[in-house]
Amino acid sequence: MIGARTIALLLVALGLLIVLPLLLSPNLLNAAIKMMIAALFALAFTLAMGQAGMLSFGHAAYYGLGAFAALHLMRAVEQKLFGFPTPLIPLAGALAGFVFGLAFGWFATQRTGVYFSMVTLALAELLFTLAPTWNSLFGGESGIATMRGPSWGMTFGSDEEVYYLTLGWFVLSAWCMWAFTRTPVGRLALALRDNEHRVRFLGFNTHVARTLIFAISCLFTGVAGALLAIANEAANYTIFSAQASANVVLQTFIGGAGTFFGPALGAAIMTFFARITSDLTRSWLLYQGLIFVLVMLFAPQGLGGLVDLHARRVRANGWKHLVAPYLLCLVVGVLLVAGLVFVVESIHVVLTDAYLAKRTAAKGEWVPYELFGRSFEPFSPLTWGIPIVLLALGGVLLPIARRITARAWLAATREEPGETHAPPVATDAAPADAAAAGQGARP
Amino acid sequence: MEYIVVSLLNGVVHGLLLFMVSAGLTLIFGMMGVLNFAHAWFYMLGAYVGFTLTRLGGFWLGLAFAPIVAGLAGVLVERYMLRRVHKFGHAHELLLTFGLAFIIEEVIKLFYGDALVSYQMPNYMRFAAFTIFETNYPFYRLFMGAVALAMFAVLYLLLTRTRVGIVVRAATYRPTTVEALGHNLPVVYMAVFAGGSALAGLAGAVAGAFYPTGPNMAVDFGTLVFVVVVIGGLGSVVGALIASLMIGLFISFSVGLNVSIADLFGLVGLGPWANDLGGLFTLQLSTIANSMPFLLMLLVLLIRPAGLMGDRQ
Repeated sequence: MIGARTIALLLVALGLLIVLPLLLSPNLLNAAIKMMIAALFALAFTLAMGQAGMLSFGHAAYYGLGAFAALHLMRAVEQKLFGFPTPLIPLAGALAGFVFGLAFGWFATQRTGVYFSMVTLALAELLFTLAPTWNSLFGGESGIATMRGPSWGMTFGSDEEVYYLTLGWFVLSAWCMWAFTRTPVGRLALALRDNEHRVRFLGFNTHVARTLIFAISCLFTGVAGALLAIANEAANYTIFSAQASANVVLQTFIGGAGTFFGPALGAAIMTFFARITSDLTRSWLLYQGLIFVLVMLFAPQGLGGLVDLHARRVRANGWKHLVAPYLLCLVVGVLLVAGLVFVVESIHVVLTDAYLAKRTAAKGEWVPYELFGRSFEPFSPLTWGIPIVLLALGGVLLPIARRITARAWLAATREEPGETHAPPVATDAAPADAAAAGQGARP
Repeated sequence: MEYIVVSLLNGVVHGLLLFMVSAGLTLIFGMMGVLNFAHAWFYMLGAYVGFTLTRLGGFWLGLAFAPIVAGLAGVLVERYMLRRVHKFGHAHELLLTFGLAFIIEEVIKLFYGDALVSYQMPNYMRFAAFTIFETNYPFYRLFMGAVALAMFAVLYLLLTRTRVGIVVRAATYRPTTVEALGHNLPVVYMAVFAGGSALAGLAGAVAGAFYPTGPNMAVDFGTLVFVVVVIGGLGSVVGALIASLMIGLFISFSVGLNVSIADLFGLVGLGPWANDLGGLFTLQLSTIANSMPFLLMLLVLLIRPAGLMGDRQ
């Protein structure tokens, strides 16, 4: 079971989440809602992926179905067909997710491995291509919209109330999922992932078990979708896209599919990253792609895996070896990222039509361009010098930082005499760390 | 009659284009087992390389170098990225290539902007091959079909009639044995990946000159190429050709057919009842043409998971 320290940590986190709306601006509060929904989606996905090893590539289907179920219920309430308390609307999403999870899962789980992924992908793509033409159910290309009705003495007009509603459902769902992993069926999921043949020999009906686990994962996915519908009060067919399905897979793996809370962390961080950077730069997908690639290359266990590794391997007094090298890695990462961002954004500005128009106005002269609130001459040594110095410095320091960090890692995890020997230390610890900090972007 | 002939022609050409794009993935996904999500983005890369070189030195230069550039990109991706994550399993490969797809698309957008670029075939290729039912049929469509067929012939002969093909095919079944026999397996994999990417690049350079070349061209094919490979059977070039033609014909025929399930019920007198039900029953076949490939893929996966021509399960 979980130790007192973990419980205390979780309570502190929960307390922080409860007081958070008092500190945040409206824009950030909305981002926090989306982060929690993404985190719940990732947790639900991990139930199928991390626990039972089923790499579903079409989980957006159940997310979207949950959202549309919730929207239709909200519409019915709005039209006074019958009364239904707004806080309980995610139940509709849960029901839709579970029912379709059972039905679709029955087919999908007849296959394993890549074929399973392909069946789930096909089902989601079917919905994605059908939804825009199916007006009565999915509202065509524009989707359907509705309003949150007041109930239980709350109007649900403000983001604060939606935040607490989302938080409540997030905590409840996360606890249910965690509890599920402790049930016999939950343990069976782990066994299915590790060796399905043996489970079958033990007399279990593996197909039924896999369908059930898949459907439960879809149930919580439906809750997440319904929460999104409540927060946005609208949805359209793009919610079913392969992009959406892939996003949750990516977030889960960046967070670390092998840990319970890692995926939630990954989803929250990536949602926040997308939210912030998409306002700042048009190339944010490039940076996001770089992060995906670097995490996959250098930290394949994800952020949660890294945290877990440190918690397990680093001795109590080992941290004193690691602080300085990690700071060095951070500096290297910042240098490289700064250089890269400067290059990308400069190219971006120089190739825009607005800049071209300025040049035409100046009769083809290379006029200065604006970046980060400053003006740069396209051919001055300073403009070229900044990224060159940043990248060169980072490039020179990178191997040094890697070496130092690897050595420090050895020192920090050196076993006391008499301890049993664990698997050899990952030599990739240094770049893994750099990438984990989201800073390891190399040009 | 006109409808059938025109749909047939368009369907075959569209299917052949689909084959060009997915032929490389048949090798990569079918033989190496790598879920390369970025495959369609190599197609996009090829189109943009073709566009750039056409401006610099002519259409044929672009056609020659697009596969080379895409192939070299494939070498880098396989050698320095995929090989590192291979041991972690399918999901990691998929996600890595997903990140790569983002990077390729965004870098291209960075330099060429969000709008379509005007990548055109040379003027001497812009003529009607023949006239059918008062419609001029462009020669370039036939050219694309011919390239696809040539690609198929070369691939098929290479895989079935040469020593290289034997080694590659053996490596998909018994990698360790092939390695024990003294073949350099990492190089084989690298060559397969590079070859597959190069084919996608060539397809991009050829098709980009006819269809719009823009930032969305890869997304349209992103999942469709997987459909082709799965329906055809992993690693089967013949299967990929059949699957591509099937999908091409399916789409081109269903686009022009305004029938719905309710109409089918109408044949047995249940039409009004089905029309009343609405929803799925009254959807026109033409509007759900894009769902057809996925429906087909689902059926194949559930009935014959090895695919039409696949022999592995």
